[in-house]
Amino acid sequence: MSTPTIASNAYQMAARLAQATAGTEDLNPNRDSPNFGQMVQNVVETVVDKGRDADQKSIGLVEGKTDVVDVVTAISETELALETMVTVRDRVISAYEEIMRMPI
Amino acid sequence: MDLIKSLFISASGLKAQNNRMQVIAENIANADSTGRTPDEEPYRRKIPTFKSHFDKEIGAEMVEMGRIAEDQTDFVERYEPGHPAANEQGFVRRPNVSTLVETVDMRQAQRSYEANLNVIQATRRMVQRTIDILRA
Repeated sequence: MSTPTIASNAYQMAARLAQATAGTEDLNPNRDSPNFGQMVQNVVETVVDKGRDADQKSIGLVEGKTDVVDVVTAISETELALETMVTVRDRVISAYEEIMRMPI
Repeated sequence: MDLIKSLFISASGLKAQNNRMQVIAENIANADSTGRTPDEEPYRRKIPTFKSHFDKEIGAEMVEMGRIAEDQTDFVERYEPGHPAANEQGFVRRPNVSTLVETVDMRQAQRSYEANLNVIQATRRMVQRTIDILRA
Protein backbone atom coordinates (compact mmCIF):
# COMPACT_ATOMS: atom_id res chain seq x y z
CA MET A 1 0.00 0.00 0.00
CA SER A 2 2.97 2.29 0.48
CA THR A 3 4.36 2.14 -3.04
CA PRO A 4 4.08 5.89 -3.66
CA THR A 5 5.33 6.61 -0.17
CA ILE A 6 8.38 4.50 -0.85
CA ALA A 7 8.93 6.31 -4.10
CA SER A 8 8.44 9.79 -2.68
CA ASN A 9 10.62 8.97 0.34
CA ALA A 10 13.27 7.70 -1.99
CA TYR A 11 13.08 10.92 -3.96
CA GLN A 12 13.27 13.13 -0.91
CA MET A 13 16.18 11.15 0.38
CA ALA A 14 17.93 11.33 -2.94
CA ALA A 15 17.30 15.08 -3.14
CA ARG A 16 18.65 15.65 0.36
CA LEU A 17 21.59 13.41 -0.45
CA ALA A 18 22.33 15.47 -3.51
CA GLN A 19 22.13 18.66 -1.44
CA ALA A 20 24.37 17.25 1.22
CA THR A 21 27.05 16.18 -1.19
CA ALA A 22 26.79 19.42 -3.10
CA GLY A 23 28.36 21.29 -0.18
CA THR A 24 31.90 20.93 1.07
CA GLU A 25 32.93 17.35 1.46
CA ASP A 26 32.17 16.07 4.90
CA LEU A 27 34.11 13.01 5.93
CA ASN A 28 32.35 12.64 9.26
CA PRO A 29 30.20 9.50 8.94
CA ASN A 30 27.96 10.51 11.86
CA ARG A 31 26.40 13.49 10.17
CA ASP A 32 22.62 13.21 10.13
CA SER A 33 22.18 13.65 6.41
CA PRO A 34 20.48 10.57 4.98
CA ASN A 35 22.59 7.82 3.63
CA PHE A 36 21.82 6.32 0.25
CA GLY A 37 22.74 2.86 1.42
CA GLN A 38 20.42 3.26 4.39
CA MET A 39 17.60 4.37 2.13
CA VAL A 40 18.04 1.43 -0.23
CA GLN A 41 18.19 -0.88 2.75
CA ASN A 42 14.93 0.51 4.17
CA VAL A 43 13.13 0.18 0.87
CA VAL A 44 14.48 -3.31 0.25
CA GLU A 45 13.36 -4.34 3.73
CA THR A 46 9.84 -3.08 3.05
CA VAL A 47 9.71 -4.97 -0.24
CA VAL A 48 11.12 -8.11 1.36
CA ASP A 49 8.48 -7.88 4.11
CA LYS A 50 5.76 -7.62 1.50
CA GLY A 51 7.31 -10.55 -0.35
CA ARG A 52 7.28 -12.64 2.83
CA ASP A 53 3.63 -11.82 3.32
CA ALA A 54 2.89 -12.87 -0.27
CA ASP A 55 4.86 -16.11 0.28
CA GLN A 56 2.89 -16.85 3.44
CA LYS A 57 -0.33 -16.34 1.56
CA SER A 58 0.83 -18.60 -1.30
CA ILE A 59 1.65 -21.33 1.19
CA GLY A 60 -1.77 -20.79 2.75
CA LEU A 61 -3.33 -21.22 -0.67
CA VAL A 62 -1.61 -24.56 -1.20
CA GLU A 63 -2.76 -25.65 2.27
CA GLY A 64 -6.26 -24.50 1.42
CA LYS A 65 -6.39 -21.83 4.12
CA THR A 66 -6.19 -18.64 2.04
CA ASP A 67 -8.33 -17.26 -0.71
CA VAL A 68 -6.93 -16.96 -4.26
CA VAL A 69 -7.96 -13.30 -4.25
CA ASP A 70 -5.80 -12.59 -1.18
CA VAL A 71 -2.79 -14.25 -2.79
CA VAL A 72 -3.22 -12.36 -6.04
CA THR A 73 -3.58 -8.97 -4.32
CA ALA A 74 -0.60 -9.64 -2.04
CA ILE A 75 1.58 -10.65 -4.99
CA SER A 76 0.40 -7.64 -7.02
CA GLU A 77 1.25 -5.33 -4.15
CA THR A 78 4.71 -6.85 -3.81
CA GLU A 79 5.29 -6.72 -7.53
CA LEU A 80 4.35 -3.05 -7.79
CA ALA A 81 6.44 -2.15 -4.73
CA LEU A 82 9.42 -4.04 -6.15
CA GLU A 83 9.02 -2.42 -9.52
CA THR A 84 8.92 1.05 -7.94
CA MET A 85 11.99 0.26 -5.87
CA VAL A 86 13.95 -1.08 -8.85
CA THR A 87 12.99 1.88 -11.02
CA VAL A 88 13.99 4.43 -8.38
CA ARG A 89 17.27 2.58 -7.79
CA ASP A 90 18.06 2.54 -11.52
CA ARG A 91 17.25 6.21 -11.70
CA VAL A 92 19.53 7.13 -8.78
CA ILE A 93 22.36 5.01 -10.16
CA SER A 94 22.04 6.60 -13.58
CA ALA A 95 22.19 10.03 -11.88
CA TYR A 96 25.35 8.91 -10.06
CA GLU A 97 26.90 7.70 -13.30
CA GLU A 98 26.02 10.98 -14.93
CA ILE A 99 27.88 12.81 -12.17
CA MET A 100 30.88 10.50 -12.46
CA ARG A 101 31.10 11.14 -16.19
CA MET A 102 31.25 14.90 -15.60
CA PRO A 103 34.57 16.30 -16.84
CA ILE A 104 36.48 18.14 -14.17
CA MET B 1 -1.69 4.81 -2.11
CA ASP B 2 -5.10 5.33 -3.64
CA LEU B 3 -4.48 3.10 -6.63
CA ILE B 4 -3.41 0.21 -4.44
CA LYS B 5 -6.47 0.93 -2.29
CA SER B 6 -8.76 0.40 -5.26
CA LEU B 7 -6.98 -2.92 -5.76
CA PHE B 8 -8.12 -3.97 -2.29
CA ILE B 9 -11.64 -2.62 -2.76
CA SER B 10 -12.02 -4.63 -5.96
CA ALA B 11 -10.59 -7.64 -4.15
CA SER B 12 -13.41 -7.33 -1.60
CA GLY B 13 -15.85 -7.33 -4.54
CA LEU B 14 -14.23 -10.51 -5.86
CA LYS B 15 -14.57 -12.17 -2.46
CA ALA B 16 -18.22 -11.15 -2.16
CA GLN B 17 -18.97 -12.63 -5.57
CA ASN B 18 -17.05 -15.77 -4.57
CA ASN B 19 -19.34 -16.20 -1.57
CA ARG B 20 -22.36 -15.54 -3.75
CA MET B 21 -21.26 -18.29 -6.14
CA GLN B 22 -21.00 -20.61 -3.17
CA VAL B 23 -24.62 -19.93 -2.23
CA ILE B 24 -25.76 -20.38 -5.85
CA ALA B 25 -23.83 -23.64 -6.06
CA GLU B 26 -25.58 -24.83 -2.90
CA ASN B 27 -28.96 -23.93 -4.37
CA ILE B 28 -28.30 -25.70 -7.67
CA ALA B 29 -26.78 -28.75 -6.00
CA ASN B 30 -29.72 -29.07 -3.64
CA ALA B 31 -32.39 -28.46 -6.29
CA ASP B 32 -33.59 -32.06 -5.82
CA SER B 33 -33.04 -32.44 -2.08
CA THR B 34 -36.41 -33.46 -0.73
CA GLY B 35 -36.92 -34.58 2.83
CA ARG B 36 -36.74 -38.26 3.73
CA THR B 37 -40.15 -38.35 5.42
CA PRO B 38 -43.37 -36.48 4.57
CA ASP B 39 -42.88 -34.26 7.64
CA GLU B 40 -39.32 -33.30 6.86
CA GLU B 41 -38.93 -30.02 4.98
CA PRO B 42 -37.11 -30.10 1.66
CA TYR B 43 -34.16 -27.80 0.97
CA ARG B 44 -35.09 -24.12 1.21
CA ARG B 45 -33.49 -21.81 -1.35
CA LYS B 46 -30.87 -19.44 0.09
CA ILE B 47 -30.58 -15.82 -0.99
CA PRO B 48 -27.21 -14.08 -0.65
CA THR B 49 -27.24 -10.43 0.46
CA PHE B 50 -24.46 -7.87 0.24
CA LYS B 51 -23.67 -4.92 2.44
CA SER B 52 -21.04 -2.23 2.37
CA HIS B 53 -18.82 -1.72 5.36
CA PHE B 54 -16.15 0.85 6.06
CA ASP B 55 -12.72 -0.69 6.38
CA LYS B 56 -10.63 1.46 8.73
CA GLU B 57 -7.32 -0.03 7.63
CA ILE B 58 -7.91 0.72 3.96
CA GLY B 59 -10.08 3.77 4.62
CA ALA B 60 -12.75 2.97 2.06
CA GLU B 61 -16.15 1.37 1.70
CA MET B 62 -15.70 -2.32 1.02
CA VAL B 63 -18.37 -4.82 0.11
CA GLU B 64 -18.97 -7.94 2.09
CA MET B 65 -21.46 -10.74 2.26
CA GLY B 66 -24.37 -9.92 4.54
CA ARG B 67 -26.78 -12.36 6.10
CA ILE B 68 -27.82 -15.34 4.00
CA ALA B 69 -31.61 -15.13 3.90
CA GLU B 70 -33.93 -18.04 3.21
CA ASP B 71 -36.49 -17.88 0.44
CA GLN B 72 -39.90 -18.02 2.14
CA THR B 73 -41.90 -18.89 -0.98
CA ASP B 74 -43.90 -22.12 -0.95
CA PHE B 75 -42.40 -25.45 -1.87
CA VAL B 76 -43.36 -27.00 -5.16
CA GLU B 77 -45.49 -30.15 -4.88
CA ARG B 78 -45.20 -33.02 -7.30
CA TYR B 79 -47.28 -36.16 -7.57
CA GLU B 80 -44.96 -39.08 -6.88
CA PRO B 81 -46.72 -41.69 -4.72
CA GLY B 82 -43.81 -44.12 -4.53
CA HIS B 83 -41.45 -41.54 -3.02
CA PRO B 84 -40.60 -42.05 0.69
CA ALA B 85 -41.40 -38.38 1.35
CA ALA B 86 -44.82 -38.51 -0.31
CA ASN B 87 -47.83 -37.58 1.86
CA GLU B 88 -51.17 -39.47 1.95
CA GLN B 89 -52.31 -37.86 -1.31
CA GLY B 90 -49.06 -38.94 -2.98
CA PHE B 91 -47.52 -35.49 -3.26
CA VAL B 92 -43.86 -34.81 -2.54
CA ARG B 93 -42.74 -31.34 -1.46
CA ARG B 94 -39.74 -30.30 -3.51
CA PRO B 95 -37.26 -27.44 -2.89
CA ASN B 96 -38.35 -23.95 -3.97
CA VAL B 97 -35.27 -23.69 -6.19
CA SER B 98 -35.74 -22.73 -9.81
CA THR B 99 -32.70 -23.77 -11.82
CA LEU B 100 -33.47 -21.07 -14.36
CA VAL B 101 -33.36 -18.31 -11.72
CA GLU B 102 -30.16 -19.77 -10.29
CA THR B 103 -28.55 -19.85 -13.72
CA VAL B 104 -29.38 -16.19 -14.28
CA ASP B 105 -28.01 -15.32 -10.81
CA MET B 106 -24.88 -17.27 -11.61
CA ARG B 107 -24.40 -15.37 -14.84
CA GLN B 108 -24.83 -12.11 -12.93
CA ALA B 109 -22.23 -13.15 -10.33
CA GLN B 110 -19.90 -14.07 -13.17
CA ARG B 111 -20.30 -10.66 -14.81
CA SER B 112 -19.84 -8.79 -11.53
CA TYR B 113 -16.68 -10.79 -10.91
CA GLU B 114 -15.40 -9.88 -14.34
CA ALA B 115 -16.19 -6.19 -13.75
CA ASN B 116 -14.11 -6.26 -10.57
CA LEU B 117 -11.30 -8.09 -12.38
CA ASN B 118 -11.33 -5.38 -15.03
CA VAL B 119 -10.99 -2.69 -12.36
CA ILE B 120 -7.99 -4.54 -10.92
CA GLN B 121 -6.38 -4.83 -14.34
CA ALA B 122 -6.96 -1.16 -15.14
CA THR B 123 -5.55 -0.16 -11.74
CA ARG B 124 -2.43 -2.25 -12.25
CA ARG B 125 -1.94 -0.73 -15.68
CA MET B 126 -2.29 2.77 -14.24
CA VAL B 127 0.31 2.12 -11.53
CA GLN B 128 2.65 0.50 -14.01
CA ARG B 129 2.33 3.37 -16.49
CA THR B 130 3.06 5.82 -13.69
CA ILE B 131 6.24 3.96 -12.76
CA ASP B 132 7.16 3.89 -16.44
CA ILE B 133 7.52 7.68 -16.37
CA LEU B 134 10.75 7.17 -14.42
CA ARG B 135 12.19 4.83 -17.03
CA ALA B 136 12.74 6.01 -20.56
